[in-house]
Amino acid sequence: MNRERFQQLLEAYGADFSRWPEGERAAGEAFARWNTADVAASVAVARALDATLDSVKSEPLDLEALSAKILAAAPRAHPMFDRRAVYALAACAVFGVLIGFGAGMLAPAPAMDETYFVQALEAPWLGEEG
Amino acid sequence: MVDPDAEYVRKAAEGDTLAASALVRRHLPRMVGFARRMLNDATEAEDVAQEVFLRAWREAPNWRPGAAKFETWMHRVALNLCYDRLRRRRETPDADAGLAVADPAPLPSDAWLAQQRAARVQAALAQLPDRQRAAITLVHFQDCSNIAAADMLEVSVEALESLLARGRRTLKAALADVAQDLMGGADGPSS
Repeated sequence: MNRERFQQLLEAYGADFSRWPEGERAAGEAFARWNTADVAASVAVARALDATLDSVKSEPLDLEALSAKILAAAPRAHPMFDRRAVYALAACAVFGVLIGFGAGMLAPAPAMDETYFVQALEAPWLGEEG
Repeated sequence: MVDPDAEYVRKAAEGDTLAASALVRRHLPRMVGFARRMLNDATEAEDVAQEVFLRAWREAPNWRPGAAKFETWMHRVALNLCYDRLRRRRETPDADAGLAVADPAPLPSDAWLAQQRAARVQAALAQLPDRQRAAITLVHFQDCSNIAAADMLEVSVEALESLLARGRRTLKAALADVAQDLMGGADGPSS
């Protein structure tokens, strides 16, 4: 850590070393401890600005109503239409269609037997009324 | 990179209201605080925070941990919403914008002084260019690390440091008398 880098970091992050980049924090603190008068003056200026900003840091927030509104819009579980149940129903439907199709394919084709109709038309009680 | 919110986000996406509540409890105050600093308007800040969460609920089922932390993603969304509102403000200036509503109740002098000081600081922050204000808000008020803040702003750490330094320089000049009062003049800034 040299004077130039120390000043750069001080101007960017202020005098609170917890805000400094993790890797340069310890070196910065050590540099400030072994400071000269002008380093101490720079730190004091940065600290004054930090304190000014901190003076408005914590404002009480009443977020109860807003929280409720946000949570009302949060995703909801739908037990009636649970995703797994939907998948299971869809699988059953597909399986049913396949079974039906397969059974239809395996069933013997109906014979084109017209005997029944011929017999029906030739039945003696047709046309013999009276 | 371990995202402490990843599990909550996954559960919230499945409709776990406790997980959603935990996310709101953890992040809503930070989102509102961030948007307040950016917009200097409490009502607009709450609107921004609400919109961030509505987007979070929409994105939650598709959330894949690893790309960015959930908090980083939320800050990016909030930042973009704030930028949009600030842009609209500049395009259609509102005559009432920035006017503080007077509190009718009389304040003790210390409280009055603190309120005046806060108003000065807020006004000085509001005068900063948007990206400098965002950098200072993230690092100073949101306590984000330099890497997280740079990630949220989608800039390098060097660029973040430049934004911070320029912003703080402007604030130091604008608030020199406030700082002097606050430090009691003992070790106040000589600038």
